[in-house]
Amino acid sequence: MSEISIKIAIAEPSTIIRSGLASIMKRIQGYQIQTIEIPSTNMLTSSIRMYKPDMLIVNPVYCSPADIAKLKEETNAVNMKVVVIVTGFYDDFLKSQFDEFIGLYDTTEQLQQKLKKMFCEPEAEEKPDEVDTLSQREKEIVTCVVKGLTNKEIANELFLSTHTVITHRRNIARKLGIHSAAGLTVYAIVNKLVEIKDLNANSENN
Amino acid sequence: MTHKFTAQNKMIDVIDEDASLLTTLTRFGISFGFGNKTIEDACKSNNIDTETFLAVINFIAEGNMIMDDTVQHLSIETVISYLKNGHSYFISYKLPSLKTKLLEAVDASDQSIPYRQVFLRFFDEYVDEVRKHMEYEDQTVFPYVMQLLSGTQNPKYSISVFEDHHSDVDSKLAELKNILVKYYPSKGNNYRLNEVLFDLLLLEKDLVIHNMVEDYFFVPVVEAIEQNLRQ
Repeated sequence: MSEISIKIAIAEPSTIIRSGLASIMKRIQGYQIQTIEIPSTNMLTSSIRMYKPDMLIVNPVYCSPADIAKLKEETNAVNMKVVVIVTGFYDDFLKSQFDEFIGLYDTTEQLQQKLKKMFCEPEAEEKPDEVDTLSQREKEIVTCVVKGLTNKEIANELFLSTHTVITHRRNIARKLGIHSAAGLTVYAIVNKLVEIKDLNANSENN
Repeated sequence: MTHKFTAQNKMIDVIDEDASLLTTLTRFGISFGFGNKTIEDACKSNNIDTETFLAVINFIAEGNMIMDDTVQHLSIETVISYLKNGHSYFISYKLPSLKTKLLEAVDASDQSIPYRQVFLRFFDEYVDEVRKHMEYEDQTVFPYVMQLLSGTQNPKYSISVFEDHHSDVDSKLAELKNILVKYYPSKGNNYRLNEVLFDLLLLEKDLVIHNMVEDYFFVPVVEAIEQNLRQ
């Protein structure tokens, strides 16, 4: 499974909570987490502007929901998720103004669920451990790619729509972890989907 | 104390703590033979900005960025020289040596002949991509930034153009690793292949760090300079 990489900024005055959160977030499976700790408010805006994090975890002492809206506008970070750290009582209505909240007693699993809710497309979780062997159709497409055909040519050759070819290629890339044509060539040769001589014939024609 | 390393630590402590930071020292241009010098003294005698050195080395060692005041006094010249040293290491030393090892490993496996050219092509294409990316930085991005530092902004360029270009050169390396581990039909002992894989893993990690230094210590700092000049 490929990991999802997320850049997280943590704005929280307590070193223990801030660094603790940073190290727990990095332990969550399935994600490649990079953290930016922001110990004081005066660096908040510039940090967001400089590092464009995907997500901001913030102590509500630092900013109210209204401040967040302003911050997002100023830093042009419209898509940044904002998560509030709840250390004591915090009003439910205010909580609902954020994308998510983190409690001091959250478990790693709970944090993982919360990340998943924010960063995974719902369709992605439907297919957990699919087999990473290619279907017959996908093998045919790999062969075409290796021979240097464009998506349109592949569509014509196999009587498919270009859109279908693109979907197949995306699935192939995910299953194999190989995206480039040169990489697929190595895969195809090693797995005997094509012969070396087919490649040579093709490159001579070009 | 917020950080792992401070100016008064000895340079040798850095290595004792984490030997993989050796690469980083070399990348900054710190030569060995620093004896018992502190980080500050060793940096001074190599003309390296101590604060920048500390910021980068702590960032790498802690895997975490802490926004404090130092971020505002980073020496962009030091960052550029770090990045340039990295480029010449990857292009002139590491990739060619990896290629030699990869070919030896492929040649040593029993079905060697047909595989050789395919692997070679994949690898060459990869090296070509890396070289183009790095040369672009050396020839276009760094001179632009040096000009910025002297107070003039080339109206035809901005660092955001570079951000768009900034393809991840490490992803294709991950592919090669993938192919070798998952699909290479090797038999018997794999010492050579193991060594290649190990080198690939280290190189991948090295490139990831290189790109992170670009993303955290270069691009944002340049953006801030651009913004100041515009105002």
